[in-house]
Amino acid sequence: MTDRPGSRTALAQVLPERTWTKDEIEAAAPLAPLPAGIQPVIAIRDLHKGFGSRKILRGIDLDVLRGETLCILGGSGSGKTTLIRHLMGMLKADVGTIQVAPAPAVAGMPSTEAGFELGAANEEQLATWRRRLGVVFQGAALLGSLTVLENVGLPLVEVDHRPANEIYERVVEALRRVYLPAQEILHLKPASLSGGMRKRVGIARAIIQRPEIILYDEPTTGLDPVTVSGVNELTLDLQKKLGITSIVITHDLEAAFTIADRIAMLYRGRIIAIGPTEEFRHSPNPAVQQLLTGSTRGPLTEAYLQGTSES
Amino acid sequence: MRRFSGTNTGELITRYARDGGTTVLSTTGRTINRQANAAGRALILFLDAMRAVREVAGSTRQLLRQIEHSGFGSLLVLSLIAGLTGMIMAVQIGFTLSSYGVADQLGGLIAITFCRELGPIWAAVIVLARVGAAMAAELGTMTVNEEVDALRMMSIDPVRYLVMPRIVGLIVVMPVLALVANAVGILGGLAVASGQFEQTSATYFQGIQNHLTTGDVVSGLVKSCVFGAIIGTIACDRGLTTSDGAEGVGRSTTMSVVFNVIFVLIADLIMTWFIQVPLKVVTG
Repeated sequence: MTDRPGSRTALAQVLPERTWTKDEIEAAAPLAPLPAGIQPVIAIRDLHKGFGSRKILRGIDLDVLRGETLCILGGSGSGKTTLIRHLMGMLKADVGTIQVAPAPAVAGMPSTEAGFELGAANEEQLATWRRRLGVVFQGAALLGSLTVLENVGLPLVEVDHRPANEIYERVVEALRRVYLPAQEILHLKPASLSGGMRKRVGIARAIIQRPEIILYDEPTTGLDPVTVSGVNELTLDLQKKLGITSIVITHDLEAAFTIADRIAMLYRGRIIAIGPTEEFRHSPNPAVQQLLTGSTRGPLTEAYLQGTSES
Repeated sequence: MRRFSGTNTGELITRYARDGGTTVLSTTGRTINRQANAAGRALILFLDAMRAVREVAGSTRQLLRQIEHSGFGSLLVLSLIAGLTGMIMAVQIGFTLSSYGVADQLGGLIAITFCRELGPIWAAVIVLARVGAAMAAELGTMTVNEEVDALRMMSIDPVRYLVMPRIVGLIVVMPVLALVANAVGILGGLAVASGQFEQTSATYFQGIQNHLTTGDVVSGLVKSCVFGAIIGTIACDRGLTTSDGAEGVGRSTTMSVVFNVIFVLIADLIMTWFIQVPLKVVTG
């Protein structure tokens, strides 16, 4: 029997044996050199963001590779949501850049679009970038006044202006892909669905325009274990079958170790550890180890206590 | 809360006047600055929504839904209030006019008051309390639930999809509601005129015909269109700038009603002063 990823037994041999200074714990993990000829689909360099006197992101360096599933872990207030909102093009960095690569060639046609810097993007580039993204929001963010059919088909109606029969077929296909009984729920409003079903409908809406990248914002939060496994399988399935690049913001360690190719940890606005799952599991950084063991003693809790007393 | 400690009462009063006064001034300054920003933001939202009107054909469904929700849903309450107001006015004014022997002018007086002022204002009050508050709450909930972000991520402009149909819907519906309020108010007045003052309907309507002009009716309808634009813009702006979860939604809803009442009355004063009165002078 293998130990659960991140369990105390599994981590006993990698717990830090020496005292780390605050600067050592918060030091940003160096960017891993990319294999020759590989261009990251998203390259974040020295990203800083603050709101008033509060510094949320303090120099993020991160590459996202095409086709990978990258999980970003971090405690509350570590800057995960701020980072994902930058990737969505909803926030502009105070300092730093987010360079996005051109869209890949489709069906033998070469890509004509050039890459660009997200912070300096014009409306047209931003719209193009958002067309390449699917976002699964934490609470699914389905429109309460619309049925499942209307919610999932919304971008096809409002943006692509597709005919009704094509929309119907694509919605049914998307719902089937997320293992939902399309015919039974098509005409229901989101309020009639369970939390897990709403999340799946949210994923169906995210994939309906066949995006190149999906951003998941805490996709398994508040779901029962069976539904969590279902959502994890779905994420893996979309990566394998459709070759989708996934960026997953999560608190769920089991989910991260199940679906991720690489895991990064965000701590006080910096990426303090990043690497393939096994490498990440054995990171000696006390903040990573505290997150993995779930201990109440360590730099994460101290930072939290310090933050609350300041506020 | 600021505490003032000291032994000398005179010193305490002096210190309170100095520090408390500074606090009041700085708070007032910050509030004025914040509200000026909000007004500018709402104006930009309105202009954006008007630019999106050229795409109204693609939003027919949302527009019809808004018209149905705002218009038909408000008719019963508005009719009740307008009818009662017409009756109260007739009672109040009727006795005074009778004492001067000009009770036959009652219909004209009530009709002018309703068409110029009470019809559009009552329609605005009912719509801002019922529809405006609901709009702010609905959009506020959508904002905190990330539904508005989801629209942006699907490249759907929230102003075109959510705001424009609501503002245009209210601009279309408000004159209709004002007309209904005018009609029901005048009929309420007629009920009292015939019941209390034994006036025939012919005399009542003759009074209306003698005094009411097309300008009175049209200026009232123009007012109600402007009120619709104000209510829709403020409600949508408050909704879309909601933060802090359920508490924020409640705050946005309340602020939407408060600001709508203030701005509708300010707009009414301006339009009455600078448009309605000069128009009356010109057209006689």
